[in-house]
Amino acid sequence: MNDQRKDILDLLAEGKITAAEAERLLSALEADQPPAAVGPDIRPKGRPKYLRVLVDTVDNGEPGRVNVRVPLQLLRAGVRLAALVPPQALGRANTELSRSGVPLDLTQLKPEQLEALVEHLDEVTVEVDSPDAKVRVFCE
Amino acid sequence: MPQLVTARIRRSSGHPLRIWVPVLPVVVVLSPLLLLAVPVAVVACRRYRISAVRAFGTALRIICALPGTRFDLEQGHTAVLVTVR
Repeated sequence: MNDQRKDILDLLAEGKITAAEAERLLSALEADQPPAAVGPDIRPKGRPKYLRVLVDTVDNGEPGRVNVRVPLQLLRAGVRLAALVPPQALGRANTELSRSGVPLDLTQLKPEQLEALVEHLDEVTVEVDSPDAKVRVFCE
Repeated sequence: MPQLVTARIRRSSGHPLRIWVPVLPVVVVLSPLLLLAVPVAVVACRRYRISAVRAFGTALRIICALPGTRFDLEQGHTAVLVTVR
C-alpha cells in the first residue's frame, strides 16, 4: 500500500472524510498512477503457457536436477482423458484408494472441474525446501 | 502438431548422443502401421465402451498440444534432455 492510499484510509478511519469521498479520492489516485507504479511484486505478464517443475537434489554427494516444462494446453487435453476412463475402472480405482486410506470418489470428479483446476493453475507456486532437495512448481 | 523431437543423452563416460527426430517423415514411414493400429484401437474402444470418436479426438488434441514440452534430467555426469518443438 503506498503512502497516499494509506493517508486516505487513515482520514476515513478518523472520520475526517466520508466513505464516498474516500472512494472518490482512491479512484482519482488510481487514475493518476502510471501502470509501472503498481508495485515490484506484481509482475505484469500475459497468460501463462507452461507449467514448470524444477527439482534440485543432492544424492550421495552428486547434484541432480530435474527441469520439466509442460504446456498447459497439454494438461487441458490430458484432463479430457478423464472422461474416457470406463466407469468400472473408476470403481476399481476407488476401491484401491479406499483400501490405501484415501477415501476419494473419482466418479464424482468431473472433467469440467479438472479443467477449472487447470485454468486456475496460473497463480499457483509451490516451493518445497529441504536440506537435500528443493522443489519449485510454477506457471510461466 | 509437433515438428521435431530432439533428445540429448550425456553419459558418465563417452560422447554425448544427440538425436533429432523429424515427426512428419517418421509418421509417413510408419503410416502403414498406423493404419493397422486404427482398427485395433476401435475394437479396444468398443470393448471398453468408450466413444472411438472422442478417444481419437482426445488423442489428437494431446498430440497437438505436445510442442513446447521439455524434459531435462541431470544426475551427476549423466544427463537426458528431450524437447518437442
